Amino acid sequence: MQTFWASLKEDISLTDRLMLFCALMLSLWGVFCIYSAAAGTAGRGFDYAFRQAAWLFVSVIFMLLVMIVGHHKLLEGAYYLFGLSLLLLFLTLLAPKVNGAQSWLGVGGVRFQPSEFAKITIILTMSKFMSRYPPLDFKTFMMCLGVIMIPVLLVLIQPDAGSALVYLVISFGMLLAAGTPLKYLGGLAALGLSAIPVMFLFLLKDYQKNRILVFIDPMRDPLGAGYNVIQSRIAVGSGGMTGKGFMMGTQSKLKFLPEPHTDFIFSVFSEEFGFIGNVILIVLFAVLLCRVIMAGVRSKERRCKILVAGVASWLWFQMCESMGMSIGMLPITGLPLPFLSYGGSSLLATFIALGLVASIYIEGGNSRHVF
Amino acid sequence: MEVLDSRLKLIAGCMILSVFILIGGLYLCQVHQSDKYVRLAHSNRLRMIRFPAPRGEIFDRNGVPLAVNDNTFSIMGYPLDLNTPEKLQHLSKILMRHGIPFTVSDLEKTIKQQRLAPYRVMKIVPNLTMTQMAELVADYEFPHELFPLSVWRRTYPAGTTAANIIGYVGEISEGELKARSEEGYTGGDLIGKSGIERSYESVLRGAPGQEALEVDARGRKIRTLDANPAVKGEDIHLTIDMGAQKLAVELLKSWKGAIVAMDVHTGAVIALASSPVYDNNPLSWGVSGREWNAIMNDPERPMLNRAIAGVYPPASTFKAFMSIAALEEDAITQSTMISCRGGLRFGSHLFKCWKHSGHGSLNVIGGLQHSCDVFFYQTGLRTGIDDLIKWGRKFHLGEPTGIDLPGESGGNIAGPEWKMRRFKSAWAGGDTVNYSIGQGYMLMTPVQIAREYAAIANGGKMVTPHLCAKGYRKPENIGLNPGKLEIVRRGLEAVVSRGTGSRAGRFGVHVAGKTGTAQNSHGDDHALFAGYAPAEDPKYVAVAVIEGGKHGSSVAGPMVGQMLAHLLSH
Repeated sequence: MQTFWASLKEDISLTDRLMLFCALMLSLWGVFCIYSAAAGTAGRGFDYAFRQAAWLFVSVIFMLLVMIVGHHKLLEGAYYLFGLSLLLLFLTLLAPKVNGAQSWLGVGGVRFQPSEFAKITIILTMSKFMSRYPPLDFKTFMMCLGVIMIPVLLVLIQPDAGSALVYLVISFGMLLAAGTPLKYLGGLAALGLSAIPVMFLFLLKDYQKNRILVFIDPMRDPLGAGYNVIQSRIAVGSGGMTGKGFMMGTQSKLKFLPEPHTDFIFSVFSEEFGFIGNVILIVLFAVLLCRVIMAGVRSKERRCKILVAGVASWLWFQMCESMGMSIGMLPITGLPLPFLSYGGSSLLATFIALGLVASIYIEGGNSRHVF
Repeated sequence: MEVLDSRLKLIAGCMILSVFILIGGLYLCQVHQSDKYVRLAHSNRLRMIRFPAPRGEIFDRNGVPLAVNDNTFSIMGYPLDLNTPEKLQHLSKILMRHGIPFTVSDLEKTIKQQRLAPYRVMKIVPNLTMTQMAELVADYEFPHELFPLSVWRRTYPAGTTAANIIGYVGEISEGELKARSEEGYTGGDLIGKSGIERSYESVLRGAPGQEALEVDARGRKIRTLDANPAVKGEDIHLTIDMGAQKLAVELLKSWKGAIVAMDVHTGAVIALASSPVYDNNPLSWGVSGREWNAIMNDPERPMLNRAIAGVYPPASTFKAFMSIAALEEDAITQSTMISCRGGLRFGSHLFKCWKHSGHGSLNVIGGLQHSCDVFFYQTGLRTGIDDLIKWGRKFHLGEPTGIDLPGESGGNIAGPEWKMRRFKSAWAGGDTVNYSIGQGYMLMTPVQIAREYAAIANGGKMVTPHLCAKGYRKPENIGLNPGKLEIVRRGLEAVVSRGTGSRAGRFGVHVAGKTGTAQNSHGDDHALFAGYAPAEDPKYVAVAVIEGGKHGSSVAGPMVGQMLAHLLSH
């Protein structure tokens, strides 16, 4: 026990406390925001905020556990964890549907989304795999793509296009960090872009097509799919420079915003805290992302450098997408804003990933690097 | 490694760039175009109004309405518009003028409920008729921030006669809202609270409609932009026959207890009465806390549906089951004769027969006919408790029948295992003796007894009692020997034709059945009768359980006789 506390204390003193500070600030701000957001719709703001706070507590405990166990042990077991999360993703296909998609599994009264935890196992597995088989030639590059396609296809069947997109972005970031020749990555990007019209015509469901069409022109369906975009933009825009103040947002309280405590939490935030609040929020995110990358630069291990690129791409993409859709810059996907959106699985997965990064940071600290 | 580091720095660079783009986008939206959006938010002209669907109606098997919807009106408004005492005074004055008693403090209390969300529309005055609403709206002083909303109010034409079957609806509770969070309920919705209203909630409910309105700055409707009409819930036709149900309620009038009548082949319930009764109409319209407590704390417990949730010792009605178990296990045969001298000494205890002078020598048919206790004491001891429990499980004693009503009790099959768990003591021979005449720990509901007798009447098939065709389940054959069952049925015929149950046979139909008198430590004995008719080709089974009815033969028997006669003649 003594050694446990001693090592925990040492880990905390050695790790990147600025990164952890940013993460905690964002999460706490999120709890307040959820209180305000849910007060309007369900009238149960306290209920949601309390549950989010409880999840935050659990998440921090898990992060500390991951730091003590260390990224080495987890990378060792990466393939098993990957297999387990594929199995869980498969099991969710058999579970009952929630909001038209099968993305939840229930264990003993606690429901969770395996698609969130798969993000961690994908990062672990791909960093291990890519440092063993560096994607420097075409064959290994295709092997890496083959591995990533398994979870992507599993979440696409659910159907959960948002998670599939996140997995692809994570993999792209990791391939980039692993030193894949730029011509391969360029080719991949070009292929992805040219696939959009094909997907649009054949693969996307009507509601997904609608989301993209109203992104181009929200007024084509102002009471249906376009409604969310318009109302969210009004919420953000009316926040102005300084915002309307905590609990004073009318857009969320009058039920104009759909899902205000999850997908559109950023709109609630922007309406109440304004442009200044947003800049502070984004700076917190940016500092956090830089520190994540920094941990990789400090590390002397290949796989760790690739790993942090995965974590950073993940958080970066969900942040940009969630904020961008709130102001109509990007189409609606329904991805949560990391740290702020209501949801235990997402919060827990994020903190576990930060635990990995913190562990890498501690180990890299033996020699000095300058970013 | 250098490649990797430079790639990481490239990624960081891209991220920083994208952050600047985001901040730029936010600047455009929140600072540059802010005025436009502030104006839009301020005059947000869209209001979504959700209106509940009319529930499906409930009818009996002949189309007699049992639950219908009345159109009533509620006055809706924003607490924001009623925030001064003068405004409340004004509204109260107008309501009083039209004979609607709402004082200022009533209104204050209502509005206080939503103090935290004054910008959300709420129900200010509920339950107005069309005439009242029309008069109010025509009043030139009526505040125009308020508007009428048409509401469906549930009414039960049969009232007390079928309240225990139909149940009632009420506003969804916090707990139900949480439990059904994925079914699209919101606060204020009506939901089935008991009875058919609850068990078929998903069928009856329908789909709520939505209307997108354009409103002015005061929230008044200018025009409808888009409307999604509500879809009425599905109607339900019950297997209940209101004629038979009325008769059952009438028969129970001065008693506490229950009557169940059922089709022996399908399990379709024709009548299911529980006494005392309650009226479900006021419950659906919302009663005050005091009235609610009065109903819930009534010592007579009218809300207890005795037909499915009242548990009683089956008493001598259990002897039919005993005969089947003993014959099937070959513990006795038709020719086994047992002598009754008025009692059985077992250990140090004397178990008496109800006829203290004794019945003399009897076989199983005679034992049933005279309801001889000693005959069944001996039969029970010969069969043994383990085989009795084995047969009890085949008849699903101790389990709910699966009737499509909420709150059913499973009774208690008791037995050695149960006694060890409950009392930490071993099952004694004396327990088996008591068990054999349906006394002691074993408990059954009236509907369980009806199901047991239906199986005897239909040749050994356990039906699932149901009130709606959707609740029908294929009967389960428990594999009774036809010859042995025939012996028991002859015994049950003898009960009515020349034995203890003769008063059940005076209504012109050929009834077979069994009386029962259950000892009641709290007062007079309970009277039971279970029977089916016509005895030669049974169609219906009926059970009456009368609390404190003293003798099954004199009180419960004639009730079952009348029920069966009514069913066969209609």
